[in-house]
Amino acid sequence: MISLEKVRKTYGEGVTEVHALRDVDLEVPTGEMIVILGPSGSGKTTLLNLVGAIDDVSSGSIRVGDVDLSSLNADERVEYRRTQVGFVFQFFNLIPTLTASENVELVAELTRGDGAQRAHTALEQVGLVGRFDHFPSQLSGGEQQRVAIARALAKEPPILLCDEPTGELDFETGRLILGLLRRLNRENRQTMLLVTHNAAIGEIADRVVRLRSGEIIEDRHIEVPVDAEALTW
Amino acid sequence: MVKPLTHKVWRDMGRYRAQFIAVIVTVFLGVAIFAATYDSYENLVTSYETTFLDYRFANLTVAGGDTEAMATAAVGTAGVEAAYSRTVVDVPLQVGETKLLGRAVGLPAAGQPPVNQVKVIEGTYLDPARPDGVLVEQHMADHFGLSPGDQLEVLAGTSWRQIEVLGVISSPEYIWPARSRQEVITTPDDFGVVFATETLARELAGVQKPNEVVLYYQDGKPDAALSAELGSTARGLGATQVYTRDEQPSNAALSEDIRGFREMAFLFPVLFIVAAAMASYVMISRFVYSQRPHIGGMLANGFTRGQVLRHYLAYGWISGLLGALPGAVLGVFLAGVISRLYTGMLSVPVTVIEFRWSTLAVGVLIGVVATLAAALAPALVASRIRPAEAMRGETPAGRGRPSIAERLLPPLRRLPIRWRMAFRGIERSPRRTVYTMLGVVLSLVLVLVSWGMIDTVQHLLNLQFVQISREDAVVYFATPVGETQVTDLEAVPGVAAAEPDLEVPVSLAAGGEVYDTTLIALEAATQMHRFRSVDGSWTQLPEEGLLLGRAIGPALGVERGDVVSVTVSSLGLTLEGTVVGFVDEPLGTFVYSSRGYAAAQLGRSLPATSALVRYAEGADAAAVRDAITRLTDVAAFEDSDALYNVMNHYMVLFYAFVGVMLVFGAAMAFALIFNTMTVNIAERSREVATMLAMGTRRRTVSRLITAENLMVAVAAIPIGLVVGYYLSAYFMASFSSDMFTFSLYVRPVTFVFAGLAIVVVALISGWPGLRALRRLHIPTVVKERSS
Repeated sequence: MISLEKVRKTYGEGVTEVHALRDVDLEVPTGEMIVILGPSGSGKTTLLNLVGAIDDVSSGSIRVGDVDLSSLNADERVEYRRTQVGFVFQFFNLIPTLTASENVELVAELTRGDGAQRAHTALEQVGLVGRFDHFPSQLSGGEQQRVAIARALAKEPPILLCDEPTGELDFETGRLILGLLRRLNRENRQTMLLVTHNAAIGEIADRVVRLRSGEIIEDRHIEVPVDAEALTW
Repeated sequence: MVKPLTHKVWRDMGRYRAQFIAVIVTVFLGVAIFAATYDSYENLVTSYETTFLDYRFANLTVAGGDTEAMATAAVGTAGVEAAYSRTVVDVPLQVGETKLLGRAVGLPAAGQPPVNQVKVIEGTYLDPARPDGVLVEQHMADHFGLSPGDQLEVLAGTSWRQIEVLGVISSPEYIWPARSRQEVITTPDDFGVVFATETLARELAGVQKPNEVVLYYQDGKPDAALSAELGSTARGLGATQVYTRDEQPSNAALSEDIRGFREMAFLFPVLFIVAAAMASYVMISRFVYSQRPHIGGMLANGFTRGQVLRHYLAYGWISGLLGALPGAVLGVFLAGVISRLYTGMLSVPVTVIEFRWSTLAVGVLIGVVATLAAALAPALVASRIRPAEAMRGETPAGRGRPSIAERLLPPLRRLPIRWRMAFRGIERSPRRTVYTMLGVVLSLVLVLVSWGMIDTVQHLLNLQFVQISREDAVVYFATPVGETQVTDLEAVPGVAAAEPDLEVPVSLAAGGEVYDTTLIALEAATQMHRFRSVDGSWTQLPEEGLLLGRAIGPALGVERGDVVSVTVSSLGLTLEGTVVGFVDEPLGTFVYSSRGYAAAQLGRSLPATSALVRYAEGADAAAVRDAITRLTDVAAFEDSDALYNVMNHYMVLFYAFVGVMLVFGAAMAFALIFNTMTVNIAERSREVATMLAMGTRRRTVSRLITAENLMVAVAAIPIGLVVGYYLSAYFMASFSSDMFTFSLYVRPVTFVFAGLAIVVVALISGWPGLRALRRLHIPTVVKERSS
């Protein structure tokens, strides 16, 4: 369970002060897939970063299970990111000097066991068999995003945080990636927060949270999520 | 340039001020060194030339033979403006309790001679009414605190004669108080010069006629052909020594010294300017890379490619100008200070400090052109960018491939991924890696050239004064003595051994070539002097034959087994000697013979002009000196340690200079490595942020980046050491002559320290970049389209 209580995030001071999140309350049960919607500047990425512990709340609290993120010191936050969350970014953020499998292995090595084996398993999960030894520059955008997803999965984190994972992809590839994420969510029972400005994508989730100017303006459960293949935008 | 673009340049420079300051400081140092050393060299050359002109310094000096005939012949030769015949004699002097081997030079009593005039610094010139009045050369006067009215003694025949100091002078012949080309290094306790009336000089020499002719050419201008012609005439008239102004001992020693400025005026600034250019290139390339969307926007909004080109060139020339202008001004100013210090230290009669616009202009030009050239390639890239592509914000994807190290050593592929990353990071930007390596190489060259000089000089001093010369002191006799007087010295308390030594000026001749030097005849089994062959091995003084200083071989075109004629003018004898080998000695170029061989060849018993003395264990050197100098036959006492200390004293300034160069070398390495490292970190900030977001610890990332940079630095160190060594060898060889032999010697530990210094500099220069890493805002950076 992820629990946000009166979360406030403010950037800057004085005239440059920006309220990215204003007293947000939100509870995400384990295994749920939430799509967070909103226009630019609505605070959706900020919310993701706070849950991922790569940014700090200004006030309020975020609890993940029994852990209050605001009580963690720097080392504990690193440990939390290592073991609890996986990130998928809009621009893939792969390391160009590493092959697909090495990119995944790099992260797998951070946790435990055989990094190479888990990297291969993760890449198989995202359907990238046969592309293990390709460098990012030799992969298409969709393939790069699959590597990024495999990288996030390799640590087997209970929470997956995806920030505009289809933002850099064409329509067809975007749908494939969304289908993949949905499948992984169901198979692995990972809690997934997916941020997008594309309202249509919300239909594949268990729940849609809509933000505007740092506040939740809609929190809607979807009774029957649609298949990604059926999405259109 | 369009005004907003000018603002952009200044603001960008402000934003990346640390990197720009690194470039500016490197340019500043390079240009300052150039201007300071080049102008110092020019000032010193001009000071000497003016001195030579003002004091009519001889173009040619002829010693021995029929000097009157020589003077007559010279005056009748076209191109000779003046000739002056005089008497020069080496005589023992006594100042207070100190006996020294002095020299008396004859001058006209009534007024300055037409050649080799002197500058009266204190007191008056010679006075015909005061025949025992002398002028004391400044170095000697300074050392003994002599001033007009003081008395000293000179050995006239067998008795000491009192003479009075009329004035203190400086002479173009003794700006550097060298006894001869072979004995350039003297101590003021052992050698001093007085200028006496010609009459007194002849009395002291015991001659009726002058023994030397000095010639001054038209307007004092050197003329090699004239010197050759007159030299030939002089040899025909029995001259024993002929040397040009360039070969004159003092001037030759000084020329060697200031040649160092000329060499430095080229080599050291080049290192700095190249380093600055590379640092500038790395930085501006990074600008262009990260500003692609801006450049696309500029082009899309109507800026011409020429404007974009000029905009990015501006980063180069502005930083060059900001470093070069103050550097040139400071350098020109420092040149004046250095020149004044130098001429003051040596008591050069005339100091000329000139302001040269050309040096200032060239200095500024060097800095600006170097940084402009560095900016050209990235500026051209910027001007050729396709706007639509650039505005999408996509930077060209980095190409990945296994590193060369992994390909050469497949087991490396089993290293943890993060270490493989470090290897591949090195090849990510090959040009930047090469420049970082070049920076390390340049820094090591600077460090090794500087440090190599210290090592070499210390090694040579040790070689000369500890390994080759084994005596503790040299005792000079007032007149040549027999071996009995030498062995008598062993009775002096504190003396363990004494050996006879004959040192006489000789002319060596072979195949039409002549070389003037000193013959040193020692006991064949001498324990006071060791002989070092050209290959570095130690050899014995042979019973038969001659050992020649290595410079004599090429000078006379002789090899081992050849015969040379040795003319001892003071004895009026010539011997034929077989060359049995060559010796390599740092100071001077002598000819050695066993006393037995010399006596046999000369057909007479051999006297001793000096004795080589070794102290008994625990002896009080000062007491030994006092006891020996009190002996009647003794003219001077030269303590080997004192000579060694004099050399070390001269080295103090040199060490200071080398210390400054080492600091500059570190600064240069820092500037370049700092720039490449910060760019390296900036370029991969998104990767770093991603790794941090994934749970990699910051210290792990810091270690990875540090390891990558260290690998580059460490890979460049062996190259730098090799290049540095050979450049140092070239640099030192440029100082070698028959007076000094500078064979580069670098202690192994110097290589280790130089390498370690670079590692330390690499670690320190990476620190600001790693600090920036700590401030990295992960949420912002992971969202960026590119780093």
